[in-house]
Amino acid sequence: MEYLHIKGKQKIKGEIRVNGAKNAAVAILPAALLTEGVVKIDNLPRITDIDKLVDILNALGAKVSSSEERCLYIDSSGVDNFSPPPSLVNKFRASYYLMGVLLGRFGKVAIPMPGGCNLGPRPIDQHIKGFTALGAKVELEHGIVKIKAKKLRGAHIYLDVVSVGATINIMLAAVRAEGKTIIENAAKEPEIVDVANFLNAMGAQVIGTGTDVIKIQGVPELGQAEHTIIPDRIEAGTFMIATAATRGEALVTEVIPKHLDPIIAKLKEVGAYLEVGPDWVKVKGNNVLFPADVKTFPYPGFPTDLQAPMMVLLTQAPGISFITENVFEGRFRHVDELKKMGARIKLGGRTAIIEGGYELVSAPVRAMDLRGGAAFIIAGLISRGETVLAGVEHIDRGYEFIEERLKQLGVNVERKIISDEVFPGK
Amino acid sequence: MTRENNFDHTMKFNVKAEEEVNEARTVLQEVYEALKEKGYNPINQLVGYLLSGDPAFITSYKNARSTIRKLERDELLEELVRVYLYRELEKER
Repeated sequence: MEYLHIKGKQKIKGEIRVNGAKNAAVAILPAALLTEGVVKIDNLPRITDIDKLVDILNALGAKVSSSEERCLYIDSSGVDNFSPPPSLVNKFRASYYLMGVLLGRFGKVAIPMPGGCNLGPRPIDQHIKGFTALGAKVELEHGIVKIKAKKLRGAHIYLDVVSVGATINIMLAAVRAEGKTIIENAAKEPEIVDVANFLNAMGAQVIGTGTDVIKIQGVPELGQAEHTIIPDRIEAGTFMIATAATRGEALVTEVIPKHLDPIIAKLKEVGAYLEVGPDWVKVKGNNVLFPADVKTFPYPGFPTDLQAPMMVLLTQAPGISFITENVFEGRFRHVDELKKMGARIKLGGRTAIIEGGYELVSAPVRAMDLRGGAAFIIAGLISRGETVLAGVEHIDRGYEFIEERLKQLGVNVERKIISDEVFPGK
Repeated sequence: MTRENNFDHTMKFNVKAEEEVNEARTVLQEVYEALKEKGYNPINQLVGYLLSGDPAFITSYKNARSTIRKLERDELLEELVRVYLYRELEKER
């Protein structure tokens, strides 16, 4: 078992270039299957979720090659399989984008129900609603979702809840449908804009992404394209919060500052110093921190993916802070582990009440999801002692070689291997 | 000598407005070229940006994403509407 060994009381100091956005990349790679042409996708993060997707694309018959780092060429002309191997897609939530893609290209798909990080119930009913409106029949047999359509036809779809996954999935299915599709109450996340940018570069006609009404005029076929993935606002936000928490100083570059507005606003409220440039953000921690009231919301609200890292920062702000999780139920699995490190947190429904201003103390902790894992790294950096963090595989899903990235920021986190049986937190 | 040509008098020059107009044109032109060179449909991408305000619509190629942020969206829209209306109204005259 791999684990991270984190020495406490370290301060971040340095400069880091942000990688391509995971949440855009995991939709854009499957979207390459919508065309028979060759596409080039650049600025891909080197994370295990991308490795898994490449395996799935290869298994479906696509030819995936690479001539430079972070760049892939995908030739989907030979794809004739509409049933991804369950062994590859099980427990991999983003695999659900294969539903929209394979339905859009072949009119049929059979895929296991999506898994992924355990963040409470995350139904795919809005995806199903969209596919059905486009004329598809959806059946669930022995855990396999089977979707079929003789012909997909454009439709007017109102999403009952704002969902990034459903918005993208319906968009992917609709680009090759006959006629016009309108998605109302669509999610507005930048990653959706980036997926549409890629689809449009291939010849699709998608307008309105970034707003709550998306219009898609179906086209019979798509062509070849080149696309560069946008910067990862969650990775950027993680480094920014870590810098504020360790009272360090960092220059985070290659970002789109507009996407970081909610994080910049909250960090200023907490007391950090921020300077914003055209494509960079400079963060300087403050020894005096203030409590805050954080509520997660879909974009442009404060991102749920940064709720756990923000909670660690707020444990250092003397006074009472509140975090209300409005996006995912049950996204407080990190709280028990943070309590083991001395954090004073009480949970009441969707709200966490944090009594801040107390020193964290190292403990053996286990990441149970991706962003919770990032939070534990920050907790380890500010705590007294040496933290042993297991569950690194969750972190590797979304953060590229995290220990190397942190090294660039002047802090020392080591990856080690021990037997699961002797892990101190077991 | 008319008053307009008399440089012995204090005169008010409206230089800023002219610069803004030129800057909007330059910004749009640079961004248009960058988008086109990267294979995107520049009109779709610019419409997307103007509608949503999300810089993700604009490629980072040739620094276009920073360039578009030099002006506010309302300034870019004003220039686009002004030029369009001026040209269309001129046609009718």
